[in-house]
Amino acid sequence: MDRRAFLSGFGTTAGMALATPTVLRASAPIRLGLTPVFLDNDAEVIARLKAALGQATGLEIELIQRRTYQEVTGLLLEGGADAAWLCGFPYLQHEDALSLLGVPVWRGAPLYQSYLITGAEFPAEGLADLRGGAHAFSDPDSNSGWLVTASDLARIGERPETFFGRTLFTYGHRNVVRAVAGGLTRSGSVDGYVWEALSAVEPELTARIRVIGRSEPLGFPPFVARRADVGTGIVASLRDALLGMDLDDKGRSALALLQLDAVVAGDVALFDGIRARMRDVAG
Amino acid sequence: MIRGLPLSLRVPLIAAGLMVLVGVVASQQVMATLGAVQEERLRELARLHVDGLTVALGPAVLRRDVWEVYDTLDRATAAMAGQRMVLTVVADEGGKVIAASDPLRAPVDADLGPLAAAAQAVETIRLNGEDPHVRVLSDLTYQGRRVGSILSELDVADLVAERRRVLAWLLAGNALATCALAAGGYWAMRRMLRPVATLSAHMARTEGAPVAIARERIPAGDTELGRLFRTFNSMTGAAAAKAEAERRLAERERFVSLGRLSSSLAHEINNPLGGLLNAADTIRTYADRPEVVRASADLLERGLRHLRDVARATLEQNRLDRQGVTLSREDFDDLRLLFEPETLRLGQDLAWQVEAPQPLLARFPAGPVRQVALNLLLNASTAAGPDGSVGFSVSEIDGSLRLTIHDNGAGLSGEAQARLLSTAPVQPGGGVGLRLVRDMVAGLGGRIDYFRKVDRSVIQVVLPQGASC
Repeated sequence: MDRRAFLSGFGTTAGMALATPTVLRASAPIRLGLTPVFLDNDAEVIARLKAALGQATGLEIELIQRRTYQEVTGLLLEGGADAAWLCGFPYLQHEDALSLLGVPVWRGAPLYQSYLITGAEFPAEGLADLRGGAHAFSDPDSNSGWLVTASDLARIGERPETFFGRTLFTYGHRNVVRAVAGGLTRSGSVDGYVWEALSAVEPELTARIRVIGRSEPLGFPPFVARRADVGTGIVASLRDALLGMDLDDKGRSALALLQLDAVVAGDVALFDGIRARMRDVAG
Repeated sequence: MIRGLPLSLRVPLIAAGLMVLVGVVASQQVMATLGAVQEERLRELARLHVDGLTVALGPAVLRRDVWEVYDTLDRATAAMAGQRMVLTVVADEGGKVIAASDPLRAPVDADLGPLAAAAQAVETIRLNGEDPHVRVLSDLTYQGRRVGSILSELDVADLVAERRRVLAWLLAGNALATCALAAGGYWAMRRMLRPVATLSAHMARTEGAPVAIARERIPAGDTELGRLFRTFNSMTGAAAAKAEAERRLAERERFVSLGRLSSSLAHEINNPLGGLLNAADTIRTYADRPEVVRASADLLERGLRHLRDVARATLEQNRLDRQGVTLSREDFDDLRLLFEPETLRLGQDLAWQVEAPQPLLARFPAGPVRQVALNLLLNASTAAGPDGSVGFSVSEIDGSLRLTIHDNGAGLSGEAQARLLSTAPVQPGGGVGLRLVRDMVAGLGGRIDYFRKVDRSVIQVVLPQGASC
């Protein structure tokens, strides 16, 4: 399996939704937005997702990639996509406009963690030891790649811009790992799900890094759609396809490539932890 | 030092030296060309690298987007893994590092200065010695203005190794070629100069008698060497002819010295004859008186014995087959018998003293010593003139034989001294007696000293043991 292709599917938030029009667009494809950060070369992930969802819905699936979470979220809100795989943080930011379609299950639960990582040669044991160094975030709209560390700092009265000597956004969890492994930054905030997958497929990259902090379990990045479209046939069809992925071969194949068990309906309460952190940051 | 070597070695060595020089110059040229080709290749590569990065990084540098710059550099490095670019650093226009392909070597916000210390410009990249890395610094321009700079470190270890390898091959190749050419040159030169060696050997071997070079060894054709050989052979012929003439002259000199004694010897023979005839007459007259006959017979016998001795001494001096006969006291007795009448004729006083022991005398050949002594005695007698005095003594000195001849004459003229004591050419008209003495003494390995003592001229001939003729 192409490991880059494999990794490309990890840690992304994606969503899918049915089209806004009330008339069923039977012949139109379902447009699923994906943050493209890990999708530069993930031809196989895309192919399997398209095959699985296409077979389950009976419709053509169009995957739309953008560089940042903000762009994908904006695309979904503006109707440029029917659904999207998003991070819990932007989902909560637009909770009034978005509705959950499903939440992936990883290692038996729809939960994941944020990891705080640093170069193996640095003696840091926790966030407090990283003061003054350069720090890599994934995305300003990423829960694990920004919100968790920012809220941890907020809890001790600090802000990332002043606590760290320099902060930068790499727009991808794997990029955070690369930045820390290459010595560009001393530390980074990364998606635990991506980290674990990377450890398995790119051990030479993660070997140069130590994990010095793990957040509490938080809601896994969910598939979401515009709240107004949830009752439409396309969204319903997509939701059914997502929730039934673990029941057919193509679905299982795509899930296996993503190292996921299944997609479950989930509940907004899963994201309470993220909501609490948002409050901490907002002060 | 090389001047001390023979020509047949010197010329090939010079040829080999020139080959080495040519090899060094050729190697230098090859290395210079190789260096130029390598540097041009490096310049082209660096130019492409910088141009590519300038296009890719321009907007990111303008925004000072650390991650974008790093991501581009990192992926470019990964794509070129194992290739020439080992480090690329991008700095802003103020010289602060934005990002580098290896942030550990060039951290973000670090000063580019120390890294760029020995950096060269792309258009003037030079490979310096054994340094395996070359740093290149160039401006990063975007939309027509300079927004930063790019420092690249190129791995040139392979080029350095290639130069070293080429140099090693050149050295080995040139050494081999030079050795081969030098050996060939040496062989050819030796071959060309072999006749010179032959000539030199012949000239070195000519101990007083040059030996002509065999006709088959003379180089064919009318070459310089051929002419040289023929000239040498002509010279040896002339030298042989001269030696033959000298030999004949010396031979004749023996007769000359005897000739000078002939009148004295004639007197020596003639004087007793009157007494002998008288004795014969007396015997005839007093045949009946036995005591008179006996006395006359005794007189006859003494006279005849004297005549016999004179004849024998003359014959002995004149003998041609004296080779191998050693010197003895009798030889000096013979000399005195031959020479004394001359002093008597001239009314000269002769002092004669032979003290050298017989064993010492026996170590010298008789012929040349007799001739030397006779010539010097005749010369002394002539110099002393009527009523003069002549002396002759033979003695031993430090194991050598010393003949001393003195007279009370006016001394040897400068020309005579030149004949006796040097090898200067003999002026015509002076005879060869003294020069013959000199040659024979030289042949015996001895020496001649001449000096004046009060009113006497003294000539000493010292002959070391083991002399032969």
